[in-house]
Amino acid sequence: MKTPHPVSHLPIADVLRRAKLIVACGSGGVGKTTTSAALALQAAMAGRRVLVLTIDPAQRLLQALGLKSTDDGAPPHMPNTPLEVLPRLASQLPQPLPPGASLHAMMLDASVAAEQMVERLLGDAGNRQRVVQNRVYRAFLPTLAASPEYFALELIYTLREKGQFDLMVLDTPPMHNAIDLLHASNTLSSFINDRVLKWFSKIPLPGEKRGFSFLGAGNSMAMSVLGRLFGQDALPDIAQFFGAFQDVLPKLRDRTQATDRMLRAPDTRFLIVTAPGETCLREARHLHAELTEQAMPFAGFVVNRVLVAAQPPPDMAQVPAVVAALQAAGLSPDRAADAANEVLESAQDLQRLADADAHHVLALQALAGSDRVCAVLVQRDGDIHTIAELASLGAEIAGAGHLDAKRPDMVG
Amino acid sequence: MTLQSPSQPLAENPDAIVDALLDRELLLVTGKGGVGKSTVAAILARAAAAKGKKVLLVEFESVSRVAPLFGTHAIGAEPRQVAPHIWAQSLTAMDSLRYFAIRQLKVPALVHLALRNKAVEGFFRASPAVRPALFLYQLWTTVEEHGPKGDHHWNLVICDLPTSGFVAGMYAIPNMLSGVFRTGPIATYAEGMRTLLRDRARTGLTLVTLPEDMPVVETLELRALLLERHGVEAAAVVLNAVMPRSHDADVLDALDRAADRDPGLLDAWQTTAERIANRRAKALSAARRLRDTLPPNTLITLPWRFERELNLQAIDDLALAMRKGVA
Repeated sequence: MKTPHPVSHLPIADVLRRAKLIVACGSGGVGKTTTSAALALQAAMAGRRVLVLTIDPAQRLLQALGLKSTDDGAPPHMPNTPLEVLPRLASQLPQPLPPGASLHAMMLDASVAAEQMVERLLGDAGNRQRVVQNRVYRAFLPTLAASPEYFALELIYTLREKGQFDLMVLDTPPMHNAIDLLHASNTLSSFINDRVLKWFSKIPLPGEKRGFSFLGAGNSMAMSVLGRLFGQDALPDIAQFFGAFQDVLPKLRDRTQATDRMLRAPDTRFLIVTAPGETCLREARHLHAELTEQAMPFAGFVVNRVLVAAQPPPDMAQVPAVVAALQAAGLSPDRAADAANEVLESAQDLQRLADADAHHVLALQALAGSDRVCAVLVQRDGDIHTIAELASLGAEIAGAGHLDAKRPDMVG
Repeated sequence: MTLQSPSQPLAENPDAIVDALLDRELLLVTGKGGVGKSTVAAILARAAAAKGKKVLLVEFESVSRVAPLFGTHAIGAEPRQVAPHIWAQSLTAMDSLRYFAIRQLKVPALVHLALRNKAVEGFFRASPAVRPALFLYQLWTTVEEHGPKGDHHWNLVICDLPTSGFVAGMYAIPNMLSGVFRTGPIATYAEGMRTLLRDRARTGLTLVTLPEDMPVVETLELRALLLERHGVEAAAVVLNAVMPRSHDADVLDALDRAADRDPGLLDAWQTTAERIANRRAKALSAARRLRDTLPPNTLITLPWRFERELNLQAIDDLALAMRKGVA
């Protein structure tokens, strides 16, 4: 068996060996989920117990991880529950897993996670019942899926407390804005904070016959504002919803502070996953600036889908030889000449794209330092279908990509 | 280009589909990340402007993606003209909250006071469902009051929406609001928003996708979900980045044989031709799959371009190509 911990100075390999939490962020469509899964698998193959939490996984990737029922009768997947990927699929890997290593994958369902969090927080059964039946709560619940980042952190933190995993890889929702994630824990506590609760606690609860005239001048203004915003008849339910959280506020605040500390911990690393293109580059820059400003532990960029032109580049001077070769291969002289010119044109078009991509890699290196561009990955044909393909991608990210990053002249 | 086949477009009636889209009051453009939503929103805006329509392009982002296409960066909460007949606006949740509060409270001083309160700001910023609700409210009032049924300030509002998850959440907003607010102002708004979102004659849901397995599957899933849960059928599905050329099978075969004999010279030539042919094959299969599932007259194709950065000229070329359809 190979040594599970090859000694290496490469930043990504190092991160995979030491970090306890890797947060993969980036804008949409850059291959973030696949990258996260490949990194998690790579860390597991290096001997660690790893969980990858994905938010919006592609069907193919689920298949590759054995999380989607296919003809082979894989089990149906439960959201927010770690499901063991290995050793069930371990036989497909290029090498056996080191003893003790494991890979779990988990899919986030924010509505279910919110429900679980509320149940955990509201220990008192009566209180819990009131919240669960409250129409504000019931109406809000399905729409929570629009902001999964809060619950992703919450889940990760809960699992971390259990100590089942050495490393968790969080695949974040597409972000133009890292602030959403960085502030997720703060915002959750400010959503249900003292002052908001105090406001809402002045509203009579359902069934209570407390008129607004009993309230002081400041409160009646607050009531008037709330009433005008939401309509008077909705206020009691809103009040009950927030009232139920009054007792657990300290607990919630401790928890959100803890998730915030977790993001800033020395064994947490942020990776920005990106792809060539002016839009992706601009957004990667923006994310990098935010992470830097927030002093978050930044590991580097993974640049996916870089086009590398065929080498040596087809050239005008080669045309006569190519035409002759095509004729020898059976094409008519006219057909061979047309074909050579057409392919040359395609090659020149692709070369332009490859040049632009190489330029974007250089721009990232100039921005963050060449050692911060951890991996430059060549555009693949098609999606990842199998865990073996995922393993080869993981090995590429952790190892070979670094060389390309240092030698951008090789890219393109 | 000599490589382009002279045959029929991959999808029928592109010109008529585009015209029917542009005759609506509101276009909601969405799709998975990275498929070219903002590009499509800009193309539709230019196509509408070319018909003499006054267009408002709305984004819900802190970093505008549409602005650079029009050669500018400074776009904020106030609509700003970026091209003839085209205005653009980029909204944050706080912008929409201020907009909502000023309209509800009608006393700007009170709004300032209320929004200066950190607790209130925190509440609105944090509440997960509030963000799409506020955006939808602003979008709805903009269309109602300033669209063709209002004061005609805008003929068409084109909204470049964040990812598919956000869209599914946004369509759920009216039901959520009706659940909490049975009477009162918000109950009325919820009804209005629901009506606008569901009115096919006024609102056109435009899904953008790429000729790859994953985006195509997810586009069809989102379309099915919105149809099933909210009774909303996509007005158009835009298949972006369709490789418009290919290399014929006899050429690929000959290159293959030639490369076997002289790999040093011909490997790169063969790889190049194969890449183009593969992209073309993927585009054809994606188009077929979409055509087979979608209702007739829904699919629009946009050609692949060999560039990473689009300028206004490229957007206009694409606007013309969209009407022609990729063959």
